[in-house]
Order: sequence, then structure tokens, then C-alpha cells
Amino acid sequence: MDKHIAAHYAQDSHQPPRRLSRRRAGAVALLAVTAVAGAALTGCGSGDGKDGGDAKTAAAQNGKKVLWVGDSIAGAEAPPLGAALKASGVEFKDASSTGGGTVVEGDKMAAPLAADTWKNLAKDIGSFHPDVIAYQITTYDWGTAEQQKASYEKLAKTAQDAGAELVIVSAPPFKVDDFYKKYEGAIASAPKAAKEVADRSGGKVRFLDASALWGTDAGKAQRSSDGVHSCQQGSAAFAKWFTEQLGTAYGFAPAAAEKWATGSWTGDDRYGKLDCR
Amino acid sequence: MTAPVPVPRSHRRPRPRAAHIAPLDGLRGLAVLAVLLFHAGHLDGGFLGVDLFFVLSGFLITGLLLGEAGARGRIGLAAFWGRRARRLLPALGVVGVAALLLTWAFGSPSVLLFALQDAPWVAAQAVNWHFVTEQIGYWNASGTRVFAHLWSIAVEWQFYLVWPVVVALVGRGRGGHRRVAVLAGAGALVSLALMLSFGDAVDTTRAYEGTDTRAFALLLGALVACAPVRGLLARVPKGVADGMCAALACGIGAAWVLTDGQNAPGLFRGGLFVHSAACALLIGLLAQAPDGWAGRLAGSTVPRWFGELSYGLYLWHWPVYVLLPRTVSGLDGWGRTAVAIAVSVLAAWVTKVLVEDPVRFRARWAAGRRGAVALVAAAAVAAGVWAAVPQPRPGAGSVDVERLNAS
Repeated sequence: MDKHIAAHYAQDSHQPPRRLSRRRAGAVALLAVTAVAGAALTGCGSGDGKDGGDAKTAAAQNGKKVLWVGDSIAGAEAPPLGAALKASGVEFKDASSTGGGTVVEGDKMAAPLAADTWKNLAKDIGSFHPDVIAYQITTYDWGTAEQQKASYEKLAKTAQDAGAELVIVSAPPFKVDDFYKKYEGAIASAPKAAKEVADRSGGKVRFLDASALWGTDAGKAQRSSDGVHSCQQGSAAFAKWFTEQLGTAYGFAPAAAEKWATGSWTGDDRYGKLDCR
Repeated sequence: MTAPVPVPRSHRRPRPRAAHIAPLDGLRGLAVLAVLLFHAGHLDGGFLGVDLFFVLSGFLITGLLLGEAGARGRIGLAAFWGRRARRLLPALGVVGVAALLLTWAFGSPSVLLFALQDAPWVAAQAVNWHFVTEQIGYWNASGTRVFAHLWSIAVEWQFYLVWPVVVALVGRGRGGHRRVAVLAGAGALVSLALMLSFGDAVDTTRAYEGTDTRAFALLLGALVACAPVRGLLARVPKGVADGMCAALACGIGAAWVLTDGQNAPGLFRGGLFVHSAACALLIGLLAQAPDGWAGRLAGSTVPRWFGELSYGLYLWHWPVYVLLPRTVSGLDGWGRTAVAIAVSVLAAWVTKVLVEDPVRFRARWAAGRRGAVALVAAAAVAAGVWAAVPQPRPGAGSVDVERLNAS
């Protein structure tokens, strides 16, 4: 419902459509309480309002289409990445997932998350027809090195079948707390497995080591107060770096940061949730 | 229990008033203190106080409903909802509007934006489902939302909408208590199964804030309010009951101290259910034997005083915690907590004296048709304030382009 209303208002309003849709939802909710009605649950289900819906409105100057896959770290990077790519004439769809996004069919925790990712990936490929699938290794790529390699190879095959190229980028360093502690081995082996798959692919799969941007120390890698995700400045740094990498690989000129780095994406809800500015 | 005999309207007995059980007021006070300390970061298992609130609500509400069904042969649902509205909505409305204005004055743009987004869901008593879709638990985002704590009042309201209808349908006549007890017990088990199925997710907001997954606490409270269970508990010798109360209180207290936050292992795999069951048993025993030492302790002056302020404290404390600066006059840690609790207590007391008690006990206009008109007018004022607060612009100035280009 949100997207529908947003699209309606976007035609004749100068206010951000997302905000208006929320106000409309709020007005409905207020009416509900004044009636003290039992329809309290009817309004639930407002979506995340991801950037995917914006992709069709992007200026597709060079015909490239990038599908962005990963977890919530990738999600926090998505708003400026979408802005930077669109400013560079590349269509973009954010297919990252909060609390999921892994493709690794690994242990009993990761496997159901991966099942969701594969299901959504098939839908996104069918609807978006990407030229490039960009996968950022997630914090949930939990499995053995063999399971990781097999899953990345499956992703490469899926991309190839869809007529797309695959780029795998390593995750930024993040704070390994009690939740992640038991998966430290898998977190360390995932980028090595991805690099191995890329090295054996004959150039069909690219592996980008993001430590060139972030370094290897989570404390110095522009993380938000949670030690895992990035705020606007860190996300913009990633967007700039990654757009440059894609530009080099796929032959387009990245737009200057001045064109996209201070846009409306800086007000994305995700940064509010992370207690950023 | 005999089948109700229809009586002429003029001869009907007045609606029965629940006997006041002092230890239960005290339990409410202890529960709100646990929540206050948990939210201040001093009691990792203090969030279990919310669970105790749920059990108490289920017990008290079901007791009232069954009492009414027994005394009058029917349950006046509209009157029940009217009483709940008069008890809960005035303070909620006042604190909600005040929190919105205070957030506008003192909150960051993000906090204000979330307050504006969440407020209508609070008003609709459905904010728990809004937070589930927002994955508030995954993002650990409570600190950016002044209404984050109100998920639990939403759960209670949703229960108040459904459960009285169930009790009205099955609780009348011979065997009514038994039927309600069976439904409460079965419902609690279904709710447990739902929690087990959702509890494995990476984001536990669905398990923690879902009405269905938390219903077992309310339903276990309801179960203990039914005559068959009350009869069983009444057979427990007084000394044994007192000892059981002491053991249960110690166990519950230990859980509050030792549980390692909302990610504690086992919490969603039966841990919360066991806590709810212990609370229900404690409440049931205290209701039967309130004058044992455990009952006297729970019903002593200080816990009861906090119990009487508990609703206002619950409403006020979180906006105060979020909006107070991280250091207050150089105070942080326990010093800041003391200031935050003191401010919350003062605000709760003022709300009780000026809003809650007048509407509950003195304002004749708050009942019937005039009450409904007052509710609509108050909602319109709240909506007006909400609409008038300017749209914040979070994120402005958050990116330094020079620094970006230099890297």
C-alpha cells in the first residue's frame, strides 16, 4: 500500500513521497483508535521502502543494471550506492536483506536464510534483468569453506544463466560480539572461499577485497555505534569506492561525489535506527 | 455454580467490584521498578517485569469478567471497554502528546521522525506490529524511539479486545469457569508453540513483541483466575502456600538478576513461558493467602506505592530516558539513572493526580456518550498536534564531501 500511495503523491507533491505515505497510514490509524475498533491489526505490514522501487525512474544512460545483494551491512551501504550509480547512469536495485541475505547453504541457522535469498534472487533476476549481480559477503555466510565455495559457485552459475556478471565483495571488518563469536571461523573463511571461486572462474567472477577501503580493524572502519553497520559518511565512502571499481570493470565513468553524496538518501530511516546523525 | 436466572433490570445486582489484593499492587510496583532498572542498563533480566504485568492483567481482567458473568449472568462488553478506555487512554494520550512535543524540543531529527511515524500506531494500539515490521529488535533501535516501550500496552489492548468476547461467549452458566480455563490453557500452549517457531529467527522482534507469541502470559494469568485452579490453590495449606510464594518470588527475582538480556539462551525456547507460569502460580497463591510473609512483603508500603504509580511510570520513563542528555550535570551511570527515575516518578505522580484519578473517580463526563465525545475530541487534539509538528530532516550535513574525496 505504501508504494501505491507514494507513487500517487510523487506526481504532484514536493514533499518526500515516503513521508506522505506514512502520514496517510497514520491518519488511518488515528481514525481507527477514535472508533475504538477491533481493526487494530489491519494496518500492519508497511514495508521497508527499499530503493528497488526507485530503480525504474533512474536515468539509464549506459544501460547497465546492478543488483545489490547482501545483509543489513549492505543495506546501510545501499542508499548512497544507489545514488552514486544512478548519478553515473547505472540502474540499481537494492536486494539486501535485514537479518539475512546470505547465499551460503550452510549450517542450520544459515540454510533457511539462504533459502529466502535464493527465492528472492530468482524473482529479482526475473523482474530486474541485471547485467551485474553484486554480492557483499554477509555476516551470516555460516558454513564450512566447502559449503561457502559451493554456494558462491552456484551464485556464479545463476548469474551466468541470467546473462549477468558476478562481483563478490568482502564484508567490512565489524565488531565480533557474543552473537558472532561462534561463527568467527566461517566469517574468516568466506572471503578466501569467494576469492578461490573467482580465481577459478576464468574471469567470469570478480572478487573485490574491501580491506583496500576499510582496512582490517573494525575500530577504524567507520562503523556506527553498533560496531557493525556504517553511518552516512562510511556508507558514502563505500559507495564511492565500489562505484569506481564497477566503473573500471564495466566501462562507465563514476559520477563525482558532489553530485550524489549529500542527497536525500542521507535521511534514510536505517541511519536513524543506527543512531547516526 | 448454578445457571444464571434472568432477573428484572431493576433488581439486578450492581457490577461486582474486584476485591483489592495488596500484594498484587506490590507486584506491579516491583515489576515496573525492574523495567525501569533494565532500561537504565542496571538489571539485565528486568524486562521480565513486563511479563509479570501481562500475567497480572490476564488474572485481574479475567477475574473481573468471570465475576460479572457470575453475578449478572452476562458481561457488558461495551461497559468493559469503556472502563478500560477511561483507565488507560487519558494518561496514554497526555503522555503521548507531551512526549511528541518534548521530542520536538529536545530530540534529534531522527528521534523526532520516528516519533511522528510511530505515534499513529501507538494511537491505534498496534505499535507492536509496526515495530515487528520495522525489525526494531534487530537494529537495537529502541534508543531512537520514544514510544518503543508502548508495544506492551498495544499487546494488552489487543488482548482486551478479544478475550472478553471469548469469556462472554463461554464463561456464562454452569461450567463457565472450566470452559474458560480450558481455553486459556490451550491458548497458552498454542502461543508457546508460536513463540518456539518464531524464536529461532535472527531478528527476535516477532517473537518478543507479537501479540500471539506473548499471549501465553496473559492466558496463564487468566487460567489462574478461573475457579477450578483457584479451588486447587485454596487447598494448599497456608504454611505451604507461604513457602511456595517465597520460593517462587526468589526464583523470579533470580531470573530478573541472572537473565542475560533479551538474547539470553532459552528465553524464546520456553524460558519466558516458565517465567510466566511461575508468575501465574505466585499470583494465584498470593490471591488465596495474601497475609503470609511473602504477601506482606509484596504488599508493603514501598512496592504498593510504586504499584499505584506504575502506569504513569511505565508511560513516562522511556521518553525521559531517551531525551535526557547522556550526562546530566556531569552525572552518568547510576547518577543519571537516579535523575531519570526521579523525573519519571514526578511526571507519573502529576499525571496520576491531574489526569488518571480525576477521569477514573470524579469526572462524570468521562462515561457514556459524553465520554465517547471526549475521546473523539482528545484524539482530534492529539492528531492536530501530530500534524502540526514540522517535518524533521535527519541526515542533513552528515556527509563531508571533502573528506570523501580525500580518502
